[in-house]
Amino acid sequence: MTVKSGYFKRNLHVDLSAGSCQRRPLADEFLVRYLGGRGFGAKLVWDHLLAHDFKLDPLGPENLLVIAPGPLTGAYLPSSGKCSFVAVSPATGVYGDSSIGGTLGMELRQAGIDVLSITGRAPQLSILWIDEEATSIVAMPELAGKTCLEAEGLIKDRLGTHDVKIAVIGVAGENLVRFACVNADWSRNAGRAGMGAIMGSKNLKAVAVRGSRDLPVHDLPALVAEAEKAYAYMRSHKYFKMWQREGLMMVMEYASAAGILPTHNFKDGTFARVDKINGETMLEGYKIGDTACFACPMSCGNINLVKQGKYVGTVTEGPEYESCAMLGSNLGIDNFAAVLHGNQLCDELGMDTISTGSLIGAVIEGYEMGVLSLADLDGQPISWGDDSAVMALIHKIARRQGIGDTLADGARGVLRRWPEMHKYVLHVKGLEQSAYDSRAASSMALAYATSDIGAHHTRAWTIAREIEQGKNWSDEERVDLVIYHQSLRPLFDMLGVCRLPWIELGLNEQHYARFYSAITGREVTLPELLKLSSDIYDLTRLINCRLGLGRKDDAMPYKVRACPIRTGATAGKVIDQAGFDRLLDLYYRKRGWDAEGNPPAEVERLHNACLVLG
Amino acid sequence: MARKLAAIPELCSGCRICELVCAIEHFGVNNPKKSAIRVLVTYPHPVMRLPIACSQCKLPLCADACPVGALRRSETLVELDRSSCISCMKCVEACPFGAIYAHGDLDHPVKCDLCGGQPRCVEKCPKGALRFIPEQSLGESKRMNNILSYAHMKEIEFTEKGEQRRIRYAEIGKEELP
Repeated sequence: MTVKSGYFKRNLHVDLSAGSCQRRPLADEFLVRYLGGRGFGAKLVWDHLLAHDFKLDPLGPENLLVIAPGPLTGAYLPSSGKCSFVAVSPATGVYGDSSIGGTLGMELRQAGIDVLSITGRAPQLSILWIDEEATSIVAMPELAGKTCLEAEGLIKDRLGTHDVKIAVIGVAGENLVRFACVNADWSRNAGRAGMGAIMGSKNLKAVAVRGSRDLPVHDLPALVAEAEKAYAYMRSHKYFKMWQREGLMMVMEYASAAGILPTHNFKDGTFARVDKINGETMLEGYKIGDTACFACPMSCGNINLVKQGKYVGTVTEGPEYESCAMLGSNLGIDNFAAVLHGNQLCDELGMDTISTGSLIGAVIEGYEMGVLSLADLDGQPISWGDDSAVMALIHKIARRQGIGDTLADGARGVLRRWPEMHKYVLHVKGLEQSAYDSRAASSMALAYATSDIGAHHTRAWTIAREIEQGKNWSDEERVDLVIYHQSLRPLFDMLGVCRLPWIELGLNEQHYARFYSAITGREVTLPELLKLSSDIYDLTRLINCRLGLGRKDDAMPYKVRACPIRTGATAGKVIDQAGFDRLLDLYYRKRGWDAEGNPPAEVERLHNACLVLG
Repeated sequence: MARKLAAIPELCSGCRICELVCAIEHFGVNNPKKSAIRVLVTYPHPVMRLPIACSQCKLPLCADACPVGALRRSETLVELDRSSCISCMKCVEACPFGAIYAHGDLDHPVKCDLCGGQPRCVEKCPKGALRFIPEQSLGESKRMNNILSYAHMKEIEFTEKGEQRRIRYAEIGKEELP
């Protein structure tokens, strides 16, 4: 089969140890079967693991980092600014990925690259500089210890241009914090699964890209016609203006009212002072501008400035819901300026706000319950709402000072040092749980448990539907929705687009099959694309099983199964283990996996049969 | 009546949809770098998203710089005559706003032609940050902003913890900490 358009059919492979950069042709079958983004990443990681006999240190030079936009990235269609980072994660030790918005993916495409793969370790702190067709590894030891923004400025000075897109890590990435992120466009982050630590382990401070090529589009008029329909639908949606105004900050009120807002390290499901850190507070006193990722009309990014008080001068793009919940209510903080400051610190230091907020919440509760001593906290007490102590802790994590050194190793690191903290650390597979309380919805507990990267809502987000449906929702319907989400949501990450137009404004997912057909010249239907996505889910599962995971790891955090929610609309709710096991059995059966969660042998055959390079 | 393309940076989100539609309209390609309008983004100081396109100056410096007279001011436009253009790109450097662009694939500079009087970028901007307005209305958003900032210089009102408060601009950041 030949692929007419939609791709440059080029992989840029960089070996930092050897100092080599190679442009390699991609096989058409690979493009057709894996689409792009997460799909490309999963296949490359699988092949790499096979070559290493599944023995690989995520933070060793041998790990492979894949950075991949998709065939839709940068095209004229809603919210096409996404790009995936894929690797064996230092947070979980298994398959990990994280997507980033902004403009990085588009720039990579314009430099003629469908997928960038990086292995090895540079002898000294360096950047990768992709300038159109040319690629070089540039040593810049002077970037050591710089924040993301400082480094970005210095790199632009060195390269002598501001017309360049830069993916950069902060101090946290250099210090191998296991939930360090990769930052671009000031405040866009590949946040989860520790992709920043992998760059740090490779002595790779940044990837700078400049490209100017036309994107290959098979039928541009057809694409434009389809895109106009999608844009028009979005602009006419009753919540469209509200999205531009508040973005994801809208969710704060909803989550608190619904009783699913992480509060006091998930002790409570509602925050009494949510009005101090909600969208309205932001609009009244802080917001100074909007920002959007590439080609996105929703502009969900909020630029906020603190105009007075202790945190005066703090200016950041954000927070969005997850950051505001995890650094706000989850820590009992009711000061929006403090949330903004925490968000800015995490961005500058290059750390995931979800994991950071989750671990600090666990520390506060652990100290409150007497599991952690004052000595464990280096003599500095911390309590709910103590924003100064939280900021100090954020710095200590990024720099691995005192208790920060343990927290920097993530949930696994904390549990290794203090096993009794398992009651307070909410994680699945070593990844801290994101900001929706799954005790309110068993399908959400299943979604977190079976997410290939750990407890993140990126793969499936069924909680709102389950709350709507109430008790009349059968097990089968729950499992079906989790599996549907786990096919559709990763499909967005394969195509290189954002899922928010679909999940938030209800943009019909059928559009995406037509976008893909117009761009590549290959007629496909949505079910065909979903099947490809589902094949990738089997593949990431296979990767995880080969790396030693199984049913025991598809588990609920202690709190979710043992500690009822204390307050709010969902007070008293907890997920019953027997009911969860029933769901999990059904889930495995519907996926065609065995009772231990192993995918069938043909999955391996299918993926081994396809060659990456053409 | 002459109408002008005006940008309101305070409203711009930096999504670059204007760049995409411009390049599609004029070159039939999906390439924002072949657009006659480009969004310049700066952060964090100043935080700015500014779409930059040709102002169709009445005394165009680009035309002055053109050694072959390929740029001429008509009734409403500074027009580029491609047949006489020699691709020296002097106009790109001469424009005081950097509002004419060059691209390696293209023989001629990329310059806004207002799409024959119906700019596509204005139509498609999801934020209303681009306007096509009568010349006498130019600067209206700036005037309004100036009034607001003049007012801010005296004092601003804001709501904190549900309470109306006032603060003098000059004192922002200097009040005593609790």
